[in-house]
Amino acid sequence: MITRPQSPPVSGHASAKKDDGAWYKDALIYQLHVRTFCDSNADGVGDFPGLTKRLDYLSDLGVSAIWLLPFFPSPLRDDGYDISDYTAINPKYGTLDDFKAFLAAARERKIRVIIEMVMNHTSDQHPWFQEARNSRENPKRDWYVWSTTDTRYAGVRIIFSEVEISNWAWDPVSKSYYWHRFFSHQPDLNYDNPAVREAMWQVMQFWLDLGVDGFRLDAVPYLVEREGTACENLPETHEIIKDLRKRIDAAYSGKMLLAEANQWPADVRKYFGDGDEFHMAFHFPLMPRMFMALRLEDRKPIIEILEQTPELPEIGQWCIFLRNHDELTLEMVTDIERDYMYDEYAMDKTMRIYSGIRRRLAPLMDNDRRKIELLNGLLMSMPGTPVIYYGDEIGMGDNIYLGDRNGVRTPMQWSHGWNAGFSAADPEQLCAPLISNPIYGYQGVNVESQRRSPASLLSWMRSLIRVRNSTRVFSRGALKFLHPSNHRVLAYLRELDGERVLVVNNLSSSAQAVELDLRKYKGDVPIEMFGRNLFPRIGELPYLLTLGPYQFFWFRLRRI
Amino acid sequence: MSPREEAFLPDELLRQLMSVGEVDLIVGIRAHHDGAAIEQVIQQVENFCLRTFVRDRIALIGIDGHRNGASPAIEEASPLYRHSGALRTVHRLTIGSKIHPADGTTVRQLFSTADLLRAKAVAMISPSTAQLPQEWLTNLLSPVRRDNFDYVAPLYRRHWNQGLLIRTLLYPMTRAVFGFRIREMYSEDFAFSGSLLARSIDHDVWQEEAFRSRTESWMAVQALETGMPVCQAFLGQKDYPVSASGAAIVDAIRQAVGTLFSLMETHQNFWQTTSGSVPVRTIGPEHELIVEPVRVNRSRLFEMFHVGVSELEGVLRLILSPETHAEIRALAAADGGKLVFPSELWVRALYEFAAAYHRSVIDRDHLVQALVPLYRGKIGAFFEENSDATPDSIEAGSESLCLEFERQKPYLIERWNATPEVPS
Repeated sequence: MITRPQSPPVSGHASAKKDDGAWYKDALIYQLHVRTFCDSNADGVGDFPGLTKRLDYLSDLGVSAIWLLPFFPSPLRDDGYDISDYTAINPKYGTLDDFKAFLAAARERKIRVIIEMVMNHTSDQHPWFQEARNSRENPKRDWYVWSTTDTRYAGVRIIFSEVEISNWAWDPVSKSYYWHRFFSHQPDLNYDNPAVREAMWQVMQFWLDLGVDGFRLDAVPYLVEREGTACENLPETHEIIKDLRKRIDAAYSGKMLLAEANQWPADVRKYFGDGDEFHMAFHFPLMPRMFMALRLEDRKPIIEILEQTPELPEIGQWCIFLRNHDELTLEMVTDIERDYMYDEYAMDKTMRIYSGIRRRLAPLMDNDRRKIELLNGLLMSMPGTPVIYYGDEIGMGDNIYLGDRNGVRTPMQWSHGWNAGFSAADPEQLCAPLISNPIYGYQGVNVESQRRSPASLLSWMRSLIRVRNSTRVFSRGALKFLHPSNHRVLAYLRELDGERVLVVNNLSSSAQAVELDLRKYKGDVPIEMFGRNLFPRIGELPYLLTLGPYQFFWFRLRRI
Repeated sequence: MSPREEAFLPDELLRQLMSVGEVDLIVGIRAHHDGAAIEQVIQQVENFCLRTFVRDRIALIGIDGHRNGASPAIEEASPLYRHSGALRTVHRLTIGSKIHPADGTTVRQLFSTADLLRAKAVAMISPSTAQLPQEWLTNLLSPVRRDNFDYVAPLYRRHWNQGLLIRTLLYPMTRAVFGFRIREMYSEDFAFSGSLLARSIDHDVWQEEAFRSRTESWMAVQALETGMPVCQAFLGQKDYPVSASGAAIVDAIRQAVGTLFSLMETHQNFWQTTSGSVPVRTIGPEHELIVEPVRVNRSRLFEMFHVGVSELEGVLRLILSPETHAEIRALAAADGGKLVFPSELWVRALYEFAAAYHRSVIDRDHLVQALVPLYRGKIGAFFEENSDATPDSIEAGSESLCLEFERQKPYLIERWNATPEVPS
């Protein structure tokens, strides 16, 4: 048994929904960048009015929460994670009123909104840093971490080691070093200064008052520095989170904090505290292992990592994903596993960046529809709240020749028409070039054409999400692995308050037979959840199933 | 309509195979009906495979089952999750002889299993191999897995008084007959490729005695005959029980020499066209001898030589030429002094044994057993000659013997192809 049921029994049908405030557990999150989603004013850059216009599309897909990548004023040297004003909208994306209108429209459609909270650092163009560097006597000076030498906190790992040689950068203006865990243009804030904590709380209040439903807190483990430590996951960081959480709970209800902590599950577990820190955290190590299991045709990596995953407090939930705006990170794998992943998924070194692979889902799967479906099936049936990265629902491709991770941040492909329906601007004016190659180009891969085809990936994804959303067993149920002798088949039960779903996945490229020990459920009838077809009643003998290449089944087990 | 062949793979094994699917490597471990004894070996092999062949799909196959109902050391296709450093599931299968106790069935099950799993490389090892350093398995498997060899024979570091059947008979005679310098073609440790496996089971080999009893040498000759790349790999020191007398040596000769003669029978078109010998690629040192004084009861060996030649006079007369028989009898009758068994006579006698086997002058098993007293005389003489020898001089003596076998090969062919005398 890996996890326990995480909600109290619900009267009536097990999947009946009762609002316990933990909406994030049952959410289907769609991650997008305003800049590349839809442009309403023909300037080549996506904006909030454009996004608002596309909300019906997201609603129809079954999305219940949108996670917006940073949309604040920024020099955009790190895709907006270098913020120069925390309480404004980047003018290219619209106005604050546009944002409010978007929030209202989303609320009308029962779609929650999660925004970024980049707490660890600001842009070096932020007024706070400008003040801090201009005078050592300025009160803002102590809002950042300064040093006269670059030898403090020696041995702390450099995260972007391909482009940074030190965590210290020399500031020629104030003639001293400042601390940065990411790019040198992103100075770390000093959380030992109560004024910084207060300022960030005010930022959060600003957005909460507007009506956002939650924050994804970026780079959480790095908030605090202490000599002689790795400057990661320090107890003081947890105190800061507890304090923020306490303030939120006191002033608001139904708000959610999501941690970005690319760490091992046991370390991330600490960010849930006793239910008094984060509500959710990404399960980073699971993601590469899903890809690994598929290529190895072996369930071992998935089972191993989930068996190492600790239980969460009652309010806690993992956030799981296949791809996102960053590289497919390989930090949480062994050297052997990383080499394997590189060789299997990124033979071309252009595809590799920062200990990871900068590719979208469809190209990683060689555009094999069966593999794309299987991975999405895993995502939707594993314990946790799934995140879909924009465009992956239609099988968008990437452009590995764009710098940094920009190859997976190209404009959304809405139609086969002008600029893929993303913008009416001249193509040269677009914020990023469109994908236009013969396989993934917008002429063939776009929302409009896939909407018209019931057999398209988009239609299939909509169906998948509908089935997932039909029950809480996937979002809240306990997970129990079955161990059939066929290692290419990953089988597990999800159980919640007497409701049981059997999930059987063939990870291999060839047809498989598998015998499942289901004696405990003798007498139950498996009902396939997509077609609602009955399968033979479970008896004493091993339950034999045959699965085609990369096929999966979801069965509701019913006593009828 | 021909009768349908009886199924030879037990249903339980078939279920295991369905679960395992396809593998890259198979390591077969002979349990010799002692599951408990190989438990440690299996664990060592598994750990080593996981470290060395990280990306490969691996199945460990225990052969022969277990004794006295003890827990089988090799669980049936049980996926393991305890190796967090490993990428893949390692499978454990059992090929038992509970249902089909005959050796032939077990070998057939093993080879069919390897074929059905589409194994790219198969290594067979014996439990005693666990004494060797862990690198040995790399040496055995890597030439197949990574260097495209189809057959790998082992080489061992031995004490000078060990492996004498190989040194004085099997190696030099096999080398001369088949033309390739493979020292250890009759060892339980060997490896082969999926290609050689496929080619081997393409024939109806299951009825061949040589295949069933000494699969390793059958496969080696198969590879040599079809021109598949063959090499030998140094594995390290392996200790054997010293059995210069007793039932063990009789069994060893019956099996190994019987197999050699049998292989000569089935591959006569191949070996009769070769002359001389060529080396094969060797990974590691070709040989290593440990020379330490040992106490050997040479008198007892000579006595057994004398008694055996005398008692088997009637049988030896049917096998050997009159000249050879006379010389052997004279040698056995020599009283006292130092026994010298001339290489020329030893080789000639062996070739006559082989030809007699070919002609089936008597029951073939009895014929091979009749070689035992001569062999005892030969190794008695070997100990006599080499009591103060250095490794180099022992090796030089062996090489000289090999050359004598090669020199007399035309005589073998002549005897082999001679028209049998019709009894008057």
